Amino acid sequence: MNKVAVIGGGMTLFRRHLNETGKELSFLASKMALEEAGIQNSDIDMVVMGSAPCAFDGIHMKGENLLDGTGAKNKPYVRVFNGGGTGVFAPIAGWWHVASGVADVAMVVCEEKMGSCYPHPQTAFQTIWDPILDRPLTPNLVWLFAMEMNRYMTRHNIKKEDIAQVAVKNKRNAVGHPCAQLPDENITVEDVLNSEIMAWPVNLLDISPPSDGASALILCSEEKAKEFTDDPVFVDGVGWNIDSTMWTNRDLYFPDYVANAAKMAYKMAGIKDPRKEIDFAEPYDPFTYKELHHMEGLLLCDKGEAPVLTREGVTERDGDLPICPSGGLLGVGNPIAATMGQKVCELYWQLAGKAGKRQIPGDPQVGVGQAWGDIMQMGTVIVLRRG
Amino acid sequence: MMTFFEKQTNPLDQAHHMGNLMVDNMYTSGTAGKKFFTHLKENDTFLASRCKKCGTTFFPPRLYCEDCFIEIPEEDWKEVPAQGTVRLFTIATLNTFGEKLDEPKVIGMIDIEGTDGAMLGYIETDETNKDLIGSKVKAVLREKKDREGTVKDIRYFQVL
Repeated sequence: MNKVAVIGGGMTLFRRHLNETGKELSFLASKMALEEAGIQNSDIDMVVMGSAPCAFDGIHMKGENLLDGTGAKNKPYVRVFNGGGTGVFAPIAGWWHVASGVADVAMVVCEEKMGSCYPHPQTAFQTIWDPILDRPLTPNLVWLFAMEMNRYMTRHNIKKEDIAQVAVKNKRNAVGHPCAQLPDENITVEDVLNSEIMAWPVNLLDISPPSDGASALILCSEEKAKEFTDDPVFVDGVGWNIDSTMWTNRDLYFPDYVANAAKMAYKMAGIKDPRKEIDFAEPYDPFTYKELHHMEGLLLCDKGEAPVLTREGVTERDGDLPICPSGGLLGVGNPIAATMGQKVCELYWQLAGKAGKRQIPGDPQVGVGQAWGDIMQMGTVIVLRRG
Repeated sequence: MMTFFEKQTNPLDQAHHMGNLMVDNMYTSGTAGKKFFTHLKENDTFLASRCKKCGTTFFPPRLYCEDCFIEIPEEDWKEVPAQGTVRLFTIATLNTFGEKLDEPKVIGMIDIEGTDGAMLGYIETDETNKDLIGSKVKAVLREKKDREGTVKDIRYFQVL
């Protein structure tokens, strides 16, 4: 396999409703990534589009609709999607385009326009359930994740305050992010605990907002990267894994599928002790508890230990293991697939020293990003390393 | 016996549960689309946008050139007449559900004058048996007071 470098990233504003069409958002993110890499669209051999359910944008086969906004006209082009896992899976697909030698330079564009789904994107989420057993009972994702959160808290005897700290940290981290939808430099644990209860134990501020937005990432071969930079960042490992849709048959306190995906990625990256070898992480944080759940799934700490590390400040931007220095989904926003911007572009920006106000101190060398999707079953993981 | 081997004349005879996908959408017209439809509401002409680099004039107007992949700034937009030439057409006699239409509908692809773009539109003509390809047509718009800023403000194209 060829070594794959990252040479540019781009990201639009994340907002609840943007006037731009999905194509226009894709174009704006792609343009930024091309400018950062210092290349033209004609230098891109192939394009990968990541975008989650068609029902959000409200255009069936939306990959084809979005294509001209990614500069992919008359090029090899493919859309990949696995729900919330897409933001990390799309760059994995971009990676194999280059690692296989089929492309020298590939652009990955992720887009989501959840505002098109009216009045709320939860109506689209309702269509993912089994139509005979689940859907007649009108469940929604908040109810489901509230049950998973409860299971996680019960199993490890975790206090709600320790979970609420994740929202405080991420919304504060997002203050330095130019795309952020919900940054808040003054938020406190009390604010989170006192916000409206959506479905116990999930409060309003435990959840990331639905958003419109797009992000883009440019990957190229090692040879090609030498033309653009003396200090490249490489994709060192990738992993993906999926558990059964029969979520009722699984113990939800630990995400085995994330651990399986992480092991795959770490093996490829030659990482034997992730706790020592990984400098920072961007685990998927659509809900506060998910960041903790995913830190454990990524084998960055023991089961049940993530809330303790969070309480002790280890996961702050200037802590020993910074977690979601971008501000994550909780602070920057959650346009599902486009969260590649926080989960993968951010790894690149941090490792390349381009993260501005969000820059982690201490010259980080290795970062891991992760996303999570479908019915609590998909784990996607990517490891980036400074070359 | 599996249903596979049975002749089903009424699918509702099977054990079943009715359902639907309850998803409604609200589509924004975008940066370029908003400008185009705002103009159409107040004017009897169209807007198009031209890429400086390759010279392509996009209709409907676009924020970017899909070939050169660069942004098209405001100063490169222009006004064009709401008319054009029929590139392709068909005459529909049945609707989407297979029901016979009261009157056949002529629908075509109209190359818009002064641009490199085209749009789908209904065509009104007295001679439905005529080959319309190459015919000059003019857009018939709703009365200004009735316009909503949507594609339906263009009622049909009249053969000149």
